[in-house]
Amino acid sequence: MTSGKMSSIAEVIAAAAVAAALWAPGTALGQSAASPDPTDAGKAVFKRANCFGCHKWHGNGGGGYGGDALSLRKTELAREQITETVACGRPGTGMPFFTRGAYDTVNCHGMNRQDVGSQMPPEAGTFLRPNDIEAVADYVIAHIKGKGEPNYAECVSFFGDTSRVCDIYKTQAEPNANSAAGTGKAQ
Amino acid sequence: MIRFTNQGPLMRASVLATVVAAAGFASALPARAADEVTHDRLLNADKEPGNWLHHHKNFSATRFSSLKDINRDNVKNLKVAWTMHLGGVEGGGIWTHGGLEGTPIVENGFMYVTDGWGSVYKIDAHGGQGTLVWKMDPKTDHDWAGAVACCGVDNRGVALWGNLVISHTLDGRLIATNKENGQVAWQRQVADPNKGEVITGAPLIVKNMAITGVAGAEYGIRGWVAATDLATQKETWRTFTIPGKGEPGNDTWKDDKNSAASGGGSTWVTGSYDPATDTIVWGVGNPGPDWDNQYRPGDNLYTDSSLALDATTGKIKWHYQHTPNDPYDYDSVAENVLVDVPGPNGTTLKLALEADRNGFAYAIDRTTGKFVWGLPFVKKVTWTKGLDQESGKPIEYDPSKQVQRYNAAVTPHRDNKVADICPGNMGGKNWPPTAYNPDLKLWYIPVIESCNRITVEESTPEKLKAREFWTGGGPSQPFKITGSVTAIDVTTGKVAGKLETPFPNLGGILATPDLVFSGQPSGEVMALDAKTLEKRWEFNTGGGVNAPPISFSVDGKQYIAILVGLGGAWDKWFIDATPELKRIQPGSMLYVFAL
Repeated sequence: MTSGKMSSIAEVIAAAAVAAALWAPGTALGQSAASPDPTDAGKAVFKRANCFGCHKWHGNGGGGYGGDALSLRKTELAREQITETVACGRPGTGMPFFTRGAYDTVNCHGMNRQDVGSQMPPEAGTFLRPNDIEAVADYVIAHIKGKGEPNYAECVSFFGDTSRVCDIYKTQAEPNANSAAGTGKAQ
Repeated sequence: MIRFTNQGPLMRASVLATVVAAAGFASALPARAADEVTHDRLLNADKEPGNWLHHHKNFSATRFSSLKDINRDNVKNLKVAWTMHLGGVEGGGIWTHGGLEGTPIVENGFMYVTDGWGSVYKIDAHGGQGTLVWKMDPKTDHDWAGAVACCGVDNRGVALWGNLVISHTLDGRLIATNKENGQVAWQRQVADPNKGEVITGAPLIVKNMAITGVAGAEYGIRGWVAATDLATQKETWRTFTIPGKGEPGNDTWKDDKNSAASGGGSTWVTGSYDPATDTIVWGVGNPGPDWDNQYRPGDNLYTDSSLALDATTGKIKWHYQHTPNDPYDYDSVAENVLVDVPGPNGTTLKLALEADRNGFAYAIDRTTGKFVWGLPFVKKVTWTKGLDQESGKPIEYDPSKQVQRYNAAVTPHRDNKVADICPGNMGGKNWPPTAYNPDLKLWYIPVIESCNRITVEESTPEKLKAREFWTGGGPSQPFKITGSVTAIDVTTGKVAGKLETPFPNLGGILATPDLVFSGQPSGEVMALDAKTLEKRWEFNTGGGVNAPPISFSVDGKQYIAILVGLGGAWDKWFIDATPELKRIQPGSMLYVFAL
């Protein structure tokens, strides 16, 4: 894929940076900007593959217009069950499959397209490679599975701090000073 | 951008303004008096046939253009005159992309359009081509707003007042932009996304006020309509669509969980205005949670209602509720079209027409708020056997009951958790606007001919969280959904014609003296015979039509304009009902047609 010396040098530098990050102590679940999180790649997949379109950034999913995406915070699935669910989707639900050739050339839940029939899950908008699927599973396990209520730090680590999307987690207990509207909850 | 043609002194002022702006001296330049948009001009908008000054063309919301150089005989020669790519396709929040639902505004040869994130584009349409004069990017907070926009990254357009362009943003602002130089003059936060409130509708300008509606009934808001004084930039009034404690109607929320406080009733479609009585008529959306009506026993006023407001004070004059204690998400946000037709014994019926999500078209006496007639405009209705001919209420409606079941066999509720309803929860008729031909007295409805499946999830107070869905269930799409343009004869209250279309109508209607223009999410823009609905012309834009057409003239020539770019709720939540539309790509494009 690469051509030219500059790309090669850039790759070497990038590889060195990754290696340094991996070697740095205390980075496994670190939130510090100075020490890259090894599951950042998985977070990028979570965004790129639009997992958060249904499961939301916090993974709690929930009902609503899009049906009912299950809570990844409350999931009891193990890593290999998560990767299979992402790869193959969930038959009979809106959870799509993300592996090219699922139910055709790739075995899914022991079924092919004929077996799964009308329960065939939808095809995702983006196909993922096996390493992407493992990365997103590792991200879910490290940052979402088993967590309690979403909080400000988690939200900012997902979106960054340029949007007000996380403000409610910061100020939930305080009256909203910015409000022009009447307070619906206190009518 | 600079043309040295005709017009004399006025033109010179415009050239000067452009040069000054370009030179970096943009400031408060005196606007040309002829281009000041006054209340008087807005009252008489139809006396400027070449312009499209209001969101719905006029205060009555007829979307009827009297221009007739393009007619049923020559429309077959209609061709693309010019196009312009716009921006705003990017995603944010839970959305992968934006779409275009806006109505262009045209004044004296200049067009103002918005994209889904609320950027405003001023386009010079003189000389048979389109040239961008300026773009105002409000830098909408994508994730903040997009995470609580139930139904897409949408903005339905601008309004004009004085020398300002008035617009909304999804993140809750009202913005006034200098018409000449595109600089933001002032802005005001009207809605609060921290409560799940966003704004998608265009403002309605009444006298010196901008009237704003809000979206968010899927996120536990308490809806409102708000008026901002454009001169002082202060709020003149804000009327909640759900009455507070002690106010009339509050007793239609009969639970002990304070469900009214999160009861929905959003107002995200621009309303209409009757200057004779100084009355704003505005549609109110569904109650929340959408599908668990047992959580909110009672009629749930003023959800699913048409609301008449005193324009000066915001006080409620009358209401007409279509679906009390709604278990279907059959909101009534649709525009009310204000028309006068001959009644019995030489009288004149002063009507407000509304085509509801629930599949029925209603004519209400807009003086008293009383039901005049109603009829189904969709092919299939299952949730009720029909309307009571006196009251207009669904005949199964029982005011002595706190929780309505209507046709219980098909109604979703806690003991019937999966139910198929017709029309489906998108309608019926959704936000895409109707149009009314005052000569033929025909009213054209953009129809979603649909059924879908509702799955109820019991709501509890613990599930109510800021910025999270508050729907009590959700829809799915096991059935194919199609559409139609359906014409109603307003003098008789009967269906006068129906042109069925392969896809739901997600764009709305424009009426001209002998034609009707509309589009399809599969890409086609079409012209129909106003009397027979026979198709007279069609052009495939190659994108998805999700916005209404308009007509205007400049340099003495008539044009048809339409925004193209499929977004909104459909391609995220309802696409399984129209699998062929999965091939439609996100886009953002303005098409302008001429002979």
